[in-house]
Amino acid sequence: MSESRFRRMNDLPSTHLLGAGTAMCAGCGGLQAVQEIYDVLGEKTVFVNAAGCMTLLSTYPFTPFRGSWLYTAMACAPAGAQGVRDALDLLIAKKRLPPEEDLDVVVLSGDGAAYGMGLSSTSAAIDRGLDFLYLCYDNEGYGNTGQQASAATPHAAATAGCGARAGHAGQKKDLFAIWAANRPSYVATAIGAEPLDLARKIEKARSLRGPRLILVLAPCPTGWDFDPAEMVEIGRLAVATGVWPLKEWEAGRVVHTKVRRPRLPVEEYLRRQGRFRHLFEPVRNEAALAEIQAGVDAYWAGVS
Amino acid sequence: MYRIRFHGRGGQGVKTAGRVLGSAFFADGFEAQDAPRYGAERRGAPIFASVRAARAPIAERGPIRQPDLVVVADESLVPVAAAGVLDGIGPHSTLLIRSAETPDTWRERLRATGPLLVLAAQAGDHEAARFLGVACAAAAARLVGVISRASLEQALRAEVAEFGALAVAQSLEHAMAAWEAMAPHAGAVAEGVEPRADTLAAPAWIDLPFEPATVSAPSVHGTATSVQVRTGLWRTMRPVIDHERCHRCTWICTTFCPDAAIGVDAQGAPAIDYDHCKGCLVCVAVCPPHAIRAVPERDAERGASAPAAP
Amino acid sequence: MSRLLLTGNAAAAWGARLAQVDYVPAFPITPQTEIIETLGRWIDAGELAARLVLLESEHSMVTAAAAAAATGVRAFTATSSQGLLYAMEMIFTVPGWRAPFVLVNVSRGLATPITLEPDHSDVLAARDSGFLQLHCATSQEVLDSVLIAHRWTEDPRVRLPAIVNLDGFHLSFTREPVELPDAAAAARFLPPFDPENVRFRASRPVSQAVAVLGGGPYSYFRYEIHRAAESALAVYDEVAGAFASACGRLWPAVETHRAEDAEVVFFLIGSFATKARDAVDRLRAAGVPVGLVRPRLLRPYPVEAIRRALRGKRAVAVVDQNLSMGKGGVLHAELASALYGEPDAPRVLASFIGGLGGRDIALEEFREMAQIAARAAADGRSPAPRLLYTEGELREVRKLQGIAQAERDDLARGGSEP
Repeated sequence: MSESRFRRMNDLPSTHLLGAGTAMCAGCGGLQAVQEIYDVLGEKTVFVNAAGCMTLLSTYPFTPFRGSWLYTAMACAPAGAQGVRDALDLLIAKKRLPPEEDLDVVVLSGDGAAYGMGLSSTSAAIDRGLDFLYLCYDNEGYGNTGQQASAATPHAAATAGCGARAGHAGQKKDLFAIWAANRPSYVATAIGAEPLDLARKIEKARSLRGPRLILVLAPCPTGWDFDPAEMVEIGRLAVATGVWPLKEWEAGRVVHTKVRRPRLPVEEYLRRQGRFRHLFEPVRNEAALAEIQAGVDAYWAGVS
Repeated sequence: MYRIRFHGRGGQGVKTAGRVLGSAFFADGFEAQDAPRYGAERRGAPIFASVRAARAPIAERGPIRQPDLVVVADESLVPVAAAGVLDGIGPHSTLLIRSAETPDTWRERLRATGPLLVLAAQAGDHEAARFLGVACAAAAARLVGVISRASLEQALRAEVAEFGALAVAQSLEHAMAAWEAMAPHAGAVAEGVEPRADTLAAPAWIDLPFEPATVSAPSVHGTATSVQVRTGLWRTMRPVIDHERCHRCTWICTTFCPDAAIGVDAQGAPAIDYDHCKGCLVCVAVCPPHAIRAVPERDAERGASAPAAP
Repeated sequence: MSRLLLTGNAAAAWGARLAQVDYVPAFPITPQTEIIETLGRWIDAGELAARLVLLESEHSMVTAAAAAAATGVRAFTATSSQGLLYAMEMIFTVPGWRAPFVLVNVSRGLATPITLEPDHSDVLAARDSGFLQLHCATSQEVLDSVLIAHRWTEDPRVRLPAIVNLDGFHLSFTREPVELPDAAAAARFLPPFDPENVRFRASRPVSQAVAVLGGGPYSYFRYEIHRAAESALAVYDEVAGAFASACGRLWPAVETHRAEDAEVVFFLIGSFATKARDAVDRLRAAGVPVGLVRPRLLRPYPVEAIRRALRGKRAVAVVDQNLSMGKGGVLHAELASALYGEPDAPRVLASFIGGLGGRDIALEEFREMAQIAARAAADGRSPAPRLLYTEGELREVRKLQGIAQAERDDLARGGSEP
């Protein structure tokens, strides 16, 4: 990271490219990260959107983008990215478009599409070596429809239609590993609460070609049930407890970019969110809390 | 038929208000119909709920165009055109606004010709925000005068039960306070005059012509047109920077604001864009010297907390 | 110009080649795979300066085609049947992007049960989508229609994608003589792709296909798609005229054969219409005054041309190679709505369902349909809809059922265990 232009917090921009006035919830962790990311990626981009909360970033006649945007559908944003990328390449190769008109193609997707319905088109785009950036804002559920469980929902979280008592029975799918297994160019996890780490990873991703994933945990006041003012603090706790590892994959190697030792107990993170309230009230569910802690411990035991 | 509209923001219980009133009417032997209406589901975004009640089965549906009663849970919505608070209000319509201001102030401000009532709000009482919906439902029930207290209570318990016993108890408290507050006006809202088919004006239909795709495709040829949407109107609490405490690190608050609503002014000081700040108060939480504090929006507008100059 | 024997698939590929398409997102499915294989071979050999990309599903394929068109290139793709259905979300979504491209559908019957043979239930499922539809009866028509469709869709008064349909097997794999327009004539007819308003480039940011809130604005955008499809009727006549000037063949919106003085006409689309044409000639030779009306456009629906062609006829035998479950034949229903209240409209519309899954329609069946229609005209009452199906065919199905059920019947009778 030594060549990064983001060495200190002061290196982050104070004014932002993405327009205000969008319909995301107050305190949206996903939007906060996208702000930062857009500052680094810039306006020579076309964002190809998969259905999710951020579908509503652009509603006629309002758009926050200073670059371009194409809304596709839930399962096929990478295919839309394929069409745009190929067409730009064709136009430039055939000299029907000057090279300075080129754009970087970025898929913008929530976890619902990224971890589920969109896996088919995503996997195939990686197979084809598509030159694109895939940006996933992960709020661990189908947020736009009221927070039903997705494949990204962590174990024991309460979701719409499931379990104020026991919460989600499943385990959070490991999208980082799925992408890595497809052998793309670059995979990274990040979070808006760690802005320097995020900015450096975007900068790194931008300097590479081929399929690149930036997977951003997006603390969600509406879906996770916490006061919007705590959005950044909850993000910091996700990292400090080790629940959300910050790491990169490149050419088969995984590097953790921020390792907190000792880690805070996961309870510090869980108890701030209403979606885990049933683990603490009316009585503490020691077994479930221990299980979650053990899962996090096991992960970090494998990290040198 | 009674035709009633509630207006509020996501998170204020407006949908619940509609359901409580609908259930209360139903419990008292009326045919009832209630429905919420919102755009994108978002905390803070304007929503409304309609309630119809009659002795005969109700065939009408959709938005209420000629309300007998409009109840405004969040007065900040009144100037927001898209919220449609004043749509269809005629001399027969009663307008009930929850506010700390007086009916006369509102009557003057809106040049209201019909009955206008206020459900008194305590300035600075923010705990009540969650219960705005049920309070408004109770007020509406008292105003129509044909709903019994028992049915209202029964309806409220049923609709709020899923939120737990504490929520039910608190809701009842707020609701019954509003019920009592409306006592002087019990029965003031009567069923409206039914629309007659022989007095209708012709709809102004046009033939929509072909227009080229350069204009008739849903494309936005413009950058950041979203800034024309004043999401600042979502705010109920306002962050205010104390520039004497601010260290001008100038990256923390601007970086963590999810809406890019904090910029930097010509003097290098952070400046909050109140046209767009949604009042999430993340900036208040993250500012290291605690140089930002949260002020209720109503108080801020009255200038009770002018920020110190940079 | 050269005259070759070409299958319908090869003709479609030639149409795309002469149109100098830029981008071919593809996914294989019987019976269209030959189209993309042919294009792929030409691209490898440097004979076509295009890019062919295999997507992983038809849903993605249609998305990629439209996204490329929305970026500013001429796109072409092909599918059939189950593939068209898999793409349906995007078939309905992309017309609203107002980015033109051509999709060749090689029609094939729909599951269930799965089949490989042709009928029109697949392409007609797309009729409400906003895609224009051109239906071909010969390989020559396929080639010409692909060229016509590119120019048609790209016209600023249209800017909608189009489906060019040809029947599987009967056309896709059947070789017949085709005159290849020379490349210069094709290039004169079809100028380079003009992205117009629809494009992505750094200097002119645009947000495309954005969401819309509110019934008023939504109605505007949706109805404008319909207005553009209607506008495409007049544009089609212009484009077909220009094609006739460039290549010498006129393809009208509605084709007729010996219909002017006919009392009864057959009404059908696609390659079975050539069988109907053959039947008309033979029946005429036997003294039966029949004719044929074959719509080539189905979307937009060429209402005036159809009304004109049928004015004064006594009866129409509509042959639908499709089935709307619970209602009947689609062509029949749409024709009835087009003729309702028209003065001098035919008294009788007889509905026949034939050719499902490629089931052949025999000459004696055409004669029978003509006779039924004529008798009904005399009575003044349309007959009940009829599926073309023989005693022999049912006997055959019973035999097959016997085999399929045999073991179960055996067990039910207490027969021996296998």
